[in-house]
Formats: sequence, C-alpha cells, structure tokens
Amino acid sequence: MSIDDGTTVANDRLAGREDMIVCVDVDKWYGDFQALKGITATIKEGEVAVVCGPSGSGKSTWIRCINRLEVHQGGNIVVDGIELSNDLRNIEKIRSEVGMVFQQFNLFPHLTVRDNITLAPIWVRKKPRAEAESLATELLEQMGIPEQAEKFPGQLSGGQQQRVAIARSLAMEPRVMLFDEPTSALDPEMIKEVLDVMKELARSGITMMVVTHEMGFAREVADRIIFMEGGEIVEVGTPEHFFTNPTEDRTKLFLSQIL
Amino acid sequence: MPELNPIVVEAGIGETGPPQQGVNLSVRQWLRTNLFSNWFNAILTLLGVFAALLMLRGVLNFTFSENREWDAVRTNLRALMTLSYPESQYVRVWVAVGFVMALAGMSAGIWANWGGVSVKRMSTWLMGSGGLFALCVLLREPSVILDSEGKVLRTVEGSLQRESVWAAMTDRLGWWIAAVVLITLGAAIWAWCSEPDRRNNSVAVTTVVFSGLGLLVLSLWLVPYGHYAFADGTYIAVPGRTVAFSTKMPWTVMWLLLFGLYFVGRSFRDTRWQGIVRGSSNFLWLISPMALFWVVLRDPALDYAHVLSTDLPMGLAFGVLGGVLLWALTRSDLGEAGRLTAVGLLGFAVFNWVAAFFGLYPMLQKARISFLLVALAALLAPNFIGEVAKRRQLILGWLSAMALVHYMATMMNTPSTVDIQSSEFLGGLGLTLFVAVIVVLLSFPLGVLLALGRTSKFPIFRMLSTSYIEIIRGVPLISVLIFFSVMVPLFLPDGMELAELAAVLTGYTLFSAAYLAENVRGGLQSVTKGQYEAADALGLTAAQRTGFIVLPQGLRVSIPQLVGQVISTFKETSLLAIIGLFDFLRVANSVIPAQSEFMGVKREGILLVAMIYFFFNFTISKYSQRLERRVGLGER
Ligand SMILES: Nc1ncnc2c1ncn2[C@@H]1O[C@H](COP(=O)(O)OP(=O)(O)O)[C@@H](O)[C@H]1O
Ligand SMILES: [Mg+2]
Repeated sequence: MSIDDGTTVANDRLAGREDMIVCVDVDKWYGDFQALKGITATIKEGEVAVVCGPSGSGKSTWIRCINRLEVHQGGNIVVDGIELSNDLRNIEKIRSEVGMVFQQFNLFPHLTVRDNITLAPIWVRKKPRAEAESLATELLEQMGIPEQAEKFPGQLSGGQQQRVAIARSLAMEPRVMLFDEPTSALDPEMIKEVLDVMKELARSGITMMVVTHEMGFAREVADRIIFMEGGEIVEVGTPEHFFTNPTEDRTKLFLSQIL
Repeated sequence: MPELNPIVVEAGIGETGPPQQGVNLSVRQWLRTNLFSNWFNAILTLLGVFAALLMLRGVLNFTFSENREWDAVRTNLRALMTLSYPESQYVRVWVAVGFVMALAGMSAGIWANWGGVSVKRMSTWLMGSGGLFALCVLLREPSVILDSEGKVLRTVEGSLQRESVWAAMTDRLGWWIAAVVLITLGAAIWAWCSEPDRRNNSVAVTTVVFSGLGLLVLSLWLVPYGHYAFADGTYIAVPGRTVAFSTKMPWTVMWLLLFGLYFVGRSFRDTRWQGIVRGSSNFLWLISPMALFWVVLRDPALDYAHVLSTDLPMGLAFGVLGGVLLWALTRSDLGEAGRLTAVGLLGFAVFNWVAAFFGLYPMLQKARISFLLVALAALLAPNFIGEVAKRRQLILGWLSAMALVHYMATMMNTPSTVDIQSSEFLGGLGLTLFVAVIVVLLSFPLGVLLALGRTSKFPIFRMLSTSYIEIIRGVPLISVLIFFSVMVPLFLPDGMELAELAAVLTGYTLFSAAYLAENVRGGLQSVTKGQYEAADALGLTAAQRTGFIVLPQGLRVSIPQLVGQVISTFKETSLLAIIGLFDFLRVANSVIPAQSEFMGVKREGILLVAMIYFFFNFTISKYSQRLERRVGLGER
C-alpha cells in the first residue's frame, strides 16, 4: 500500500484533536464482489477530508458505510465514540449526528422547503415547531435562499435544491457532514453556488468528508485528500503533497486525467 | 405573483400543434382550432353532433313517452331510499342524515376556501340551460293522441297516431316560456356585467350552493309536486298539492343544519379554536360512519344489561391489563424475557383459535381477538423500548385499538333492526351507501397495511400479505360474499352471533382490501430508493419514514387507481342482491315491479337508479381530479 497508513494527520491545525471517524480494516462485499478492501483511516474532529478516485473505486460505498446506509462485513467503524453495530439504537444515534448530502439531492418532493428542513428536528430531535422553523429560516438565510421557504423542491433550480438539502442536514445540528458528489448532478453554472456554501461550512469547523472531483475546492479547503482505487486507499496527503508530488503512479495517472 | 396554472404547464406535452389551453379564446377561435381545423375534423364534428342529438332525442322520447309510469318511482321514493325501514323508527334515519349535514356545514365553514363564480359565467349557465330546454322541446317527437278515456289512438295500419309537429310545439308552451325566461335572464345579466367595472364581479361558491339548495327546499313548500306515497301497502297519489309534511319538514331542518353549522364553523375561522375545530371535525368524519351505523341499525330494544355487565368490563380489562403488560415489556432492562413472553402469548392466542375450531372450550370471540392483539402488540413492544414518551405512544396506541375493536365487536353482536327475514328492514340507497362507505373506510387502512407488508423487508410479513392478496384476488367477490353470509355463521362458536349485514361487510372489506393493497403497492414502488436513504440519513425511524415520506408519496401516485376502486366498490354493492340484501338497484329491479299497482314497471326505476349512481360516481371522479391537481403541486 501507500506511504501512509491513513491515520497520520498531515496538518498542524488538527494536531491534538479528538478522533471523529475511525475506520479499521473495513471490508464490504456485494455478493462475491469486494467493494471495500481493508479501509483504514481516521478523520479528526473539525477535519475536512476530500475523497477522490476513479468511478467505481468504492468512494460512495465507504461514506455510506459511515452512517450505515450500507452495512460493512469486516473491520470496525467508530463514529464519535460509538461503534457501528446492528444495535438499532446506536444506528439511530449516529444518524442523527451525521448529516448526509446526496448527489441527487433526495429532497422530499411532497413537502415544502420549510417542511423538508423542519421534519427531522421536530420528530427526531423533538424540537418545538416554532424553534425548528426559526432554525430553518436562519439556515435558508445562511444558504442564500431565504425567499424559497414556501416552495416545493420541484419549483427550485438544481443548485437551490442542493443548498436546501444541505440546510436540511444542518438542521439536525450534526457533528459530521458527509457529501457524496454534491455537485456532479448540477449544471456548471450552479456548481459554484453550492461549493461556496460548502467552503463556508468548512471554515465553520464542522467535520466534513467530501467525495468530489472538484479539485479547486479540495486545494482550497481540504485538510487531507484521500485517493481511492479498486476499493483501497491508495494515497493520503495534504493538498500540497497531493497536487505537487504524489508518490503513487496510480495517483499521478488519475491526476493527469482529471486536471 | 400569479398562481401557476397547472393546465398551462401541462399543455403541449406530447402535442405537436398544441391547442392553446388555459388561454382565453373567443368562441369562434375555439371552434376553429378544436373542432373545424380541417375538413376531416369538421366532418367528424358534424357526425358527432348528429349522433349526440339522436341520443338525446331517444332519451327524451323514452322519458316523456305516454307509456312511462313515473308514478311507480314517485310513490316509491322512500322505498328506493330506505326500503321498509320502520316508520316508527324513521327519526333515526333523519338523525343520521342530519348529523352528516351538520358536519358537512361545519367542515365547509372551517375549511372551505372555494373562491367565487364569476357572474358572467353564471349568466352563460343560464343561457345554456335555456338553450338546452329549447333544444329538448324541438327534439322530442310529437305526443301520441289520447282519446277521452285516456287510451292511445291508432291509425288504421295500427301505428300510433300523433299530433302534428305544430300542435306539439304549441302544446309545450310552458317549456318554451321557461327556455325564453332563462335565456333572457342570462342575456340580461351578461349585458349588465359587460360594463368594464363589473366584469370581474363574482359570487362566493358557498352562496351559490347554499342558496341553490335553499331554493330547492323552499320549492318543497310552494311547488305542487304532488303527494305520492306507498305506505303500509296502500298507494297514495294526490297530484296538485305540495309534498307531504313528513318530507318537507325534515329536509328544511337538514338545510337549516347545513346552513347554520356553516356559520358556526366560519365563526371559528382564524380564532385560536380553529385548530381544535378542524381536528375534531376530521375526527368526527372518521368515526361517523361507525356511529351512524349504530344509530340507524341497532335494535330499539338494546340489551344494555349485557353491555354493562360483559362488553364494557371486558374491553376495560383488556385495555388496562394489556397496557400494564406492554408497559412492563418496554422496560429497557428486560432483555430476552420480553420476546419469550410475546412468543408465549402468541402461542396461547393461536391455541385459542384452534381450540375454538374443534369446539374445545367456549370463549367470547372478542376475547380471542383481543388475546391475538395483545400478542401482536407484545411482539412490537421491543421497538418502543426507550424514553417514557416512546413507551407512552405504544400504550396510547393499544388503548385506542382496544376501544375501537371492542366497540365494533359489540356493535356487530347487537341484534339489529335489519333482520333480513323481517319486513322491517333497511334497504335501498341507504343500505348501498352504508355498505360502500364502511367498506371503503375499513378496507383503506387494511389495504395500506397489506401493501406495506407486501413491500416489507421482513419475509414473514411479505409472505403473509402476498398469500392473502393472491388468495383473495383469485376468488370472485360474489363467492366471498356468499361464503361470509352462509358459511361464516356455521364456523362461529356457540354464543356468538354475527348479524348478516356485519358478516357481509366483513367479507366485502377483506375482499376490497386485497385490491386496494395492490393499488397502493404500485404507488409505494414508485417511491425512489433515494427517498428512503434521505429519510434514514436524517435519523427518522422506520415508522416515521413510512408515515411521513413513503406513504404520502406512494398514495399520491395511486390516487387515480384508489378512486377507481372506490367507484367500483360503490357500484358492486349491487351484488348484495344475490345474497338476499335489498340494495338500491334491487328495489328498482324487483321490489317495485312486484307491487300490484306497478306490475312489471321496471325501466323508470332503473333509469333513476342509474342516474343517481352516475351522480355519485361523477362527483367522486371530479373531486379526485381536483385532489390530484392540488397534491400534484409538489411534483414538478
Ligand atoms: N448495490 C450494489 N450492488 C452491487 N454492486 C455495487 C452496489 N453498489 C456499488 N457496487 C459496486 O461497488 C463498486 C464501488 O461502487 P461505488 O462505491 O458506488 O463507487 P464510486 O462511488 O467510487 O464511483 C462498483 O464496482 C460498483 O459496481
Ligand atoms: Mg459514487
């Protein structure tokens, strides 16, 4: 494997922080096909980790294991001190602490933007409705779309929808945010508005794990870049290391194709 | 911002030369673009109009023919509505109708936001109906000439002798006057509101509806519709006076209830009571069919002693003891003991049914059902382990389930006035509506549960629901009904009676639920995987995910099929005739033609029945289109 076992933090900023996500030797099979082969990595509290790699390399599979949308078969995943197991209560707890943003937004089409955002705080966090609604207003303002609260998702542009999806996740006040290619389904002119929101979020100090091919974004805000291929972590490093002198041939090849 | 108009948005999908829907065209332009765009369309249009006129002429000739005996329908109106429901108890029917009226008025008051009808539009209705009157007068063939004894005259060749066309047109002077009055009135209003400042005048829909109904009721007091009745085997026909007091008074009260409660409801609008009033009126709608069923059908001599000594204590006991048990089973330190208890209970419950089958030891059926429910609830209990609030949910759910089940079981066990063998029996439209409403209401939750079961990830639920659905769908409705009316009473243990109507309702509900489940399943499958994942990622529980995300989206997709199912349930109630119940159609088809005064007179009654069926189903269908459009908003 690589020069790095994935647990070293290559950035001073994060020295001494607590571990937020710890994966040890994680294996995942789809039938006979092994999608994750012994993934070992640690994400620190407040870290922004960008995961990249060619299509089919297991990026989505990995981050979906972290909030147990997929079940891993070998190894351990510990999120914020809670081990992921079949215990239903642990799963619910982790899911309310970990927000996820999908490539296809996955907003609830039958609910207004406001209701999309307040549903989980009211029913999972048991917040009073008024409080949840003022939080929603605040978040929409932060996302730059305060005037869309009463609309239905289908009436918004892709970029607006993705920002609503981010607001919906943030409304649960999660400690970790997972992004699975949040800009891949967007028209080019809308990518920037979503990335801007994400950059701001990164600076706010929340732990983020972002699967993306937006290398500009990675260069600007990532603490670490994790490169995967064939279900394995091939190389881990700071953006500087990653873009200027990657060690692995496979990384070089990937970068030459994407940059 | 102007409201998005869904019609405009949808227009043009899959159309090459889109007709400009949603855009105001003048009548001529509209005809041009839609009906006469080329010579082929023009010919089709003309042929279509010709066929429609022929059909209208047929209906008119049939309706106004000298051979029609509309007296058969007039005197039997009550029979068509309630058959031989006992006269002495009739006030109960009115109480039930009145309750529905009051509730409808209340709901309209607190909810309705129907907007207005433009006055101009109403004037076109008036002119249109006037024109239709005139058209009908022109189309109908000349009447047959009657001699002084009221017999038809025939020509030498034997064909009917008719008056001349001119005589026919002058004979129908009253209709002409009506047509002219309507057209003039409409035209006058049209002219009046053509002034620019009156162009947008409109009248609230509620005003139109209430005053329309009010005029109808008022006409009962003023217009000599004639007094026709068929009571205690005697035939009453007194033309030239208003309808009987026992008809016009109740309807007046009904209208007052509707209108009065509308204002009560409206006075709660935008007050702090609004939420409560809305909630309780919805709740009342939900329970009213059951409650009214009770009001209309129960025997006047109800055995209250039995209710007090057995039914009530038993319901309470199951509620309280079951609640205590469930509370204990949701303790977090219980571990495997909880599951063992639940499985033990399930075994006991199943054994009860097996024992009943072999007649081993007697027990009220209600107790067997309740034990089974306790066991099922105990199996569910582990999902509710946790905070007090969560445990309380389970207990509340349990208590309401018990209340509902015991109420229903008690109701079914009660001897009813509608003993089918007796002459005092509810039938007609009353029976048809009761059966349809109750079957739809009860089969809906059952069908949704079955659909959820069939799409569940637990194999046991999937297997049970699938086999239930497939078995029921493999059997014709009629055999299910026969099975329940004839066979089920044989299987029931001693001491348990099931009124025939209750048995039939059960069978029909179980049948309808299987079809409903398939319709709902289609909708559920259209909900994408991403929706489940988004709900899971937010930490919603499986129940919340189903209730807030999956069902609303799935049901919305299935609205057209569900409405189709409601309509066919309503129509297929006429199969009840085969197992001996006297539904609406059967009254027209066999009861009236058997009366000595109207021997063999069928067509009139059946035409009326068909019209009433059509009225109900058309209304449902229209309403569903509105509903679809309204909930479709979020889809785009
Ligand atoms: N549900 C599934 N069933 C079977 N194979 C799957 C499934 N999901 C993903 N895979 C396979 O696992 C591998 C990794 O997929 P994924 O994590 O989606 O890749 P990435 O997100 O990096 O493009 C791919 O080869 C893909 O075909
Ligand atoms: Mg992917």
